[in-house]
Amino acid sequence: MDAIRITNLVKRYGAVTAVENLSLSVRPGRIFGFLGPNGSGKSTTIGCLTGLLDPTSGTVEVLGEPFDSENAAIKKRIGVMPETLGLFDPLYAKEFLAFVARMFGLDEVTTRQRVTELLDALELSDSSKTLAEYSTGMRKRVAFAAAVIHSPEVLFLDEPFESIDPAGVALMKQWLRRFADQGRTVFMTTHVLETVERICHDVAIITKPGKLVWEGDVTLLANDGSLTYNGQEFRTLESLFLHLTGEKYTDLNWL
Amino acid sequence: MNFQLIGVLIRLRYKLLWAKTRTRNGKIALFFAGYLLLAMVAMLLSLGGVGAGMTAIRSGKAMLVAGALLGGIYAQAIVASVVLGFGMTAIFSETELRRYPVRALERRLTRHFIGIVDPYWLLFLTLDLGLAFGLYLFGAGSFWLGLIAALLLFCSNYVAARVLGMLVDRLMMKKGGSAIMLVCIMMLGLLPATLGPVIRKNPRILDAAARLWQSTPPAGAAVAMTQSNLAAVSGLGLILLWMAALLAVLVVLERRPPKTRVAQAGKVAWESPFDRIGAVFGPQTGPLVAFWLRFYSRHNRFRTIYPLALPLAAFLQFFYGRQVHAAGGTFTISLSVFLILGFIGTSQFAVNQFGYVGGGFRRFLLLPTGAATAFRAGSYMFVMLSAALILPAAILWSLFVPARFDPRAIAMLVAASVTSLFFFHGIALWTSLLGPRRGNYNQSFGNDLSFAGNIVVIGGMLSLLFLPQLAAKQWPGALTPYYWWAAAVAAPLAAVFYFTSLHFATALFRAKRESLMVLLEGKS
Repeated sequence: MDAIRITNLVKRYGAVTAVENLSLSVRPGRIFGFLGPNGSGKSTTIGCLTGLLDPTSGTVEVLGEPFDSENAAIKKRIGVMPETLGLFDPLYAKEFLAFVARMFGLDEVTTRQRVTELLDALELSDSSKTLAEYSTGMRKRVAFAAAVIHSPEVLFLDEPFESIDPAGVALMKQWLRRFADQGRTVFMTTHVLETVERICHDVAIITKPGKLVWEGDVTLLANDGSLTYNGQEFRTLESLFLHLTGEKYTDLNWL
Repeated sequence: MNFQLIGVLIRLRYKLLWAKTRTRNGKIALFFAGYLLLAMVAMLLSLGGVGAGMTAIRSGKAMLVAGALLGGIYAQAIVASVVLGFGMTAIFSETELRRYPVRALERRLTRHFIGIVDPYWLLFLTLDLGLAFGLYLFGAGSFWLGLIAALLLFCSNYVAARVLGMLVDRLMMKKGGSAIMLVCIMMLGLLPATLGPVIRKNPRILDAAARLWQSTPPAGAAVAMTQSNLAAVSGLGLILLWMAALLAVLVVLERRPPKTRVAQAGKVAWESPFDRIGAVFGPQTGPLVAFWLRFYSRHNRFRTIYPLALPLAAFLQFFYGRQVHAAGGTFTISLSVFLILGFIGTSQFAVNQFGYVGGGFRRFLLLPTGAATAFRAGSYMFVMLSAALILPAAILWSLFVPARFDPRAIAMLVAASVTSLFFFHGIALWTSLLGPRRGNYNQSFGNDLSFAGNIVVIGGMLSLLFLPQLAAKQWPGALTPYYWWAAAVAAPLAAVFYFTSLHFATALFRAKRESLMVLLEGKS
């Protein structure tokens, strides 16, 4: 059984197509990197996978069950760190995490224990600041903590490492690896390709509008292997990404 | 001085204003601004400065009349600017300007130049200039002295409004500041009624006030506009003196940014009264009700408006009831007050339930509950908070309102309040979903509700205030405690309306949640 299965997913906003006929699957216990240039439909796809958005057509299955926005049972088994973080600014981190934990059905004792441990581990114990007063990196840490507090089976992370300091990123990576080692699944988007090479098992690259152009195992790179596309070999994920997405450098003489 | 860059920044401000008109609310605001401007220009043409100048000359007391007119314009400009926010909020902040290569003085100049060329202020300049021109035309003063006086008065008017605005802002940032502000506004409202008898008892106060008036900028301008000798120059000097003093205060205030209140560490409890109240609603909805209570307990506007609901009701009952010879007497006013009380404490928030959560809205959709649970929980909380005001109000009414104790009267008032509570919170559900776009009515209505939200809140309050009086006039004797049962029948009907609305609005919420998310996150 796949942890995530997307079949012919299409998402349109009026006349604009954000995701076009996307099909892919993610096996349990894998860290899956979902890459693409800005505006290619990554966040829209995560939105469809987490119940934030309704697909125009196609199906989404999470943990073997068809998933839609009203499927509370599946929602309880997944954790999401959305692109816009979804925080409530006037609350303190402790209050916010306790609220999320209670909503996910954790009992009082577990809630207290997990909130305290997460706040300590992510260095968010300063209780004098509300979420509005936190830096961008600290807000991301809170959103990450909210995504994992109920120990989900599948974790969706939308650009989790951006704005977080190296120590925080190292800690999060370590957690994600352990998470996957336990047979749970991580589905993440990021623009930091070096990080993807280091922690992801599988990668999918999409281009505008949400069209899958490459999918494969990137663990080969760690063993001095290479990635192939149309018979062409790429030694780094970055070179493959730039090749697929058609990114080009324009030289500005005045710069 | 980098005037070129200052010019670019001023143009940018107008480009941004124009860009706002691309949104639907912007178009509505533009329509209203255009309409108001047209109405004001028409008013200006018909009743403007030239006519005023002519009146001043014909009265034989040109200086006195001009002074009174200029004083009125001066005070109105300040009040409308400070209280309603006209010509105040659409200015770049110091922080915004810091990203451009302009020095401190240039930044200050840019900000205030943008402020003073606002169409709102230009309207007052036109009025001042019109009067100066009128006085010159009818031979009461010099053209140039009048022109200079009008310009100086206009500038001092702007600076005075800025100073007062900043002082009010600082007061509002302090703990209890909003309550002090409301008391000040109430006292200002009561001033004309209380001042009359005091002056009649002690006419010397009037002489002292007149002497004091002579040293104000409008009086100085009136002297400069109607005299052509040294007295006129002294009038200009007086305005300059005021302006220098006001500018000094403004610079001091701007250089000392207000201290932000720092939350105290270690006060975040695991179990709070919010959680205990929320627990009543069960394990699914309870944490959400607790969340909403906690969220709004930290919301400055809510913290101001909700606790003031009862004092405001008392104010309406006692002062409005005394001053207006209402049809049906005190009880009709009480009925209006209790109807208003059912909604007033939470109205601004209930009609725009998700308007203040911003990006947090997304979180509700990720929770393992039905998508609309947060919506329902929010509405329950608003109903609960509004309901909590009714009983204390009934007790206070029976203790303080000078009427013979009649249980039917109390039953009727409470039932009326419950009717309004359910009816308006039902309407608020639909408004939250159908008019969720946050508007910018800070400059007109002093809020950022949607257009629909403003119609429900303001229209609702006015209707509740005047409809009972109209009814009492139309059907004398109908709004008396004798018919208390009618209100008792209306209350359950309103409750049915609320719960039916809740049911159908919940379904609509599910359908609209994507567009709501886009709107609330400011992506539309």
